[in-house]
Amino acid sequence: MTDASMTVGHDSADTARIALFGEIDMANADEVEQQILGAIGNQLTAVTIDLSGLEYIDSAGLRVLFTLGSRLDILQIALRLVVPTGSSIRRVIDLSGMAAAIPVLSH
Amino acid sequence: MTELGDRLRRLETVTDAGLAQLDVDELLDELLDRVRELLAVDTAAVLLLNPSGRYLVATAARGIEEEVSQGVRIPLGKGFAGRIAAEKRPVILEQVDHTNVLNPLLREKGIRSLLGVPLLVGGTVLGVLHVGTLTPRPFSADDTTLLQLVADRIALAVHARAAEVERAAATVLQRSLLPSALPEIPELEFAARYVPGGQGQVGGDWYDVFVLGSGAVCIVVGDVVGRGLTAAVEMGRLRHALRAYTLDTADPAELLDRLDRQVHQFEPDVMATVLCAVVDPSGEQMRLSCAGHPPPVISAGAGLPAAVLDLPADLPIGVTTSGRRHTSTVALPPGTAVCLYTDGLVERRGRSLTAGLDRLAEAMFAGPPESVCATVMQALVGAEPPSDDIALLVLRRQPAADTDTDTFELELPAVPSSLKPLRIAMRRWLAHVRADRQATADLLTAVGEACANAIEHAYGAAGGTVSVSLAYQAPDVIAVVGDTGRWRAARGSFRGRGIILMRALSDEVTIDRTDTGTRVRIRRTTTEGGPR
Repeated sequence: MTDASMTVGHDSADTARIALFGEIDMANADEVEQQILGAIGNQLTAVTIDLSGLEYIDSAGLRVLFTLGSRLDILQIALRLVVPTGSSIRRVIDLSGMAAAIPVLSH
Repeated sequence: MTELGDRLRRLETVTDAGLAQLDVDELLDELLDRVRELLAVDTAAVLLLNPSGRYLVATAARGIEEEVSQGVRIPLGKGFAGRIAAEKRPVILEQVDHTNVLNPLLREKGIRSLLGVPLLVGGTVLGVLHVGTLTPRPFSADDTTLLQLVADRIALAVHARAAEVERAAATVLQRSLLPSALPEIPELEFAARYVPGGQGQVGGDWYDVFVLGSGAVCIVVGDVVGRGLTAAVEMGRLRHALRAYTLDTADPAELLDRLDRQVHQFEPDVMATVLCAVVDPSGEQMRLSCAGHPPPVISAGAGLPAAVLDLPADLPIGVTTSGRRHTSTVALPPGTAVCLYTDGLVERRGRSLTAGLDRLAEAMFAGPPESVCATVMQALVGAEPPSDDIALLVLRRQPAADTDTDTFELELPAVPSSLKPLRIAMRRWLAHVRADRQATADLLTAVGEACANAIEHAYGAAGGTVSVSLAYQAPDVIAVVGDTGRWRAARGSFRGRGIILMRALSDEVTIDRTDTGTRVRIRRTTTEGGPR
């Protein structure tokens, strides 16, 4: 079974930084999605998803991020991704056109 | 007829054939009843030493049944029963009081006098048998002799049962812990044997083979000092601890170092020898570390002589954590076979270890692992039942002539949980053909997407399989993903990215859909590479 884990940190009371580790594919995408949604309360104004520690993501994982983008858009919570330049994850994120929907930062 | 003679004859009834049919618990109750009658006492109880050897635990009682139901525990050396067990001799208390009896139950019950004897088998104390009276009573030497005779009978029965239970439990445990099937790994072949030692009694030998997330393969052979259930339980703990540490490191010396520290912290009485090996994802080399374990025997290819590997022998696990551990690297050219084993294989009564190693090196050859195992067992064990248990594990890197190593084939159930093992297997093969980092990452994702499509869209509820074949045609890797279903249109939102991604990460993608299945062909150029 594909394994992913996450840590949640708070830069301030109304922002959260969610770091993802491991691998995300079809086998665990739903579970990862639920975990991320569970970590985002309605008091937040901004959320950063940090993919620096992620080793693999496929289109099922991208779908989780796109869905999250539209969900947070409705909730008026700002979302951005941190994906190091040059990583294999960054390549997949760039190819997916993610930047048009969610701001993608390098660090 | 003396009174003792008469009582001795009555004691015969304590050892009669009818009792042989009873199980141990029934036997204890029956014997305690007869003892009460024979010695004209009010209470009788058996306490057995628990496995730690530090406490006596009330196991059977008559006239003072609370002892058992309350699980009375008496520390060895303390109080009346504790003293009997520690000194291994009878003790008589003509006047019971709080200075000489620890167990408040005996005092509250109003017991005035006590006689107790040790349960001994071969000089080892198993527990205590004691009797008590509610009126003061001077116990005679004859009383003591009689009680000791009954105690000896009880000790034998308890000992026989404990040995039988332990042996059965150890065998079940050992069987459940050894891998029932060795993993199937591209390019590597395995075979193993386990034979219990003297009188079929298992020991603490084990072997283990498992794939790490990186695609590397970890191979372990170990031997916990000791025999029976204790050794088998400990073996299980070490095996699982070592597996857990591979989540954090793949360096054999580091793995053994952590295992050593865990043993020092949590299992201070344990000692074990362990050989830990990790084969690279490419299969080209093996790193090893040896904790006091006999060295592997290796042959570099068919027809080549086998030799004992010269490894730095670091200290066994559980000796001291101060010694430094070493990792050695050994090349595994195609066709190389390696034999790992425990000392039971090479040590025989009346024969030196060196002679055993020489015989092993003579018998070992770089052939199919099943044949190597059979030949080695025949040469070193033959028909002679081994006195110590034996674990033997042979691995071989497939010879180049046997198979075209430039191709890779895998068929997996079309379910999401197949994706991770697919990536692990692909990483190994891509490392083998020396694909560059970028091509490796792209192929993992592109082929993963093609498989995900088959998993999600090809089949109905009954499911099916997805096949993956990879071929290296310099400088390209050609991947073909096939299923035997019919893709339906994607459902839900944010769909359809898989195919876009697949095309973006590859140099060429063709998708052939037919009534009998879909075939996706992906071509991706690599910048370095080519199999060695």
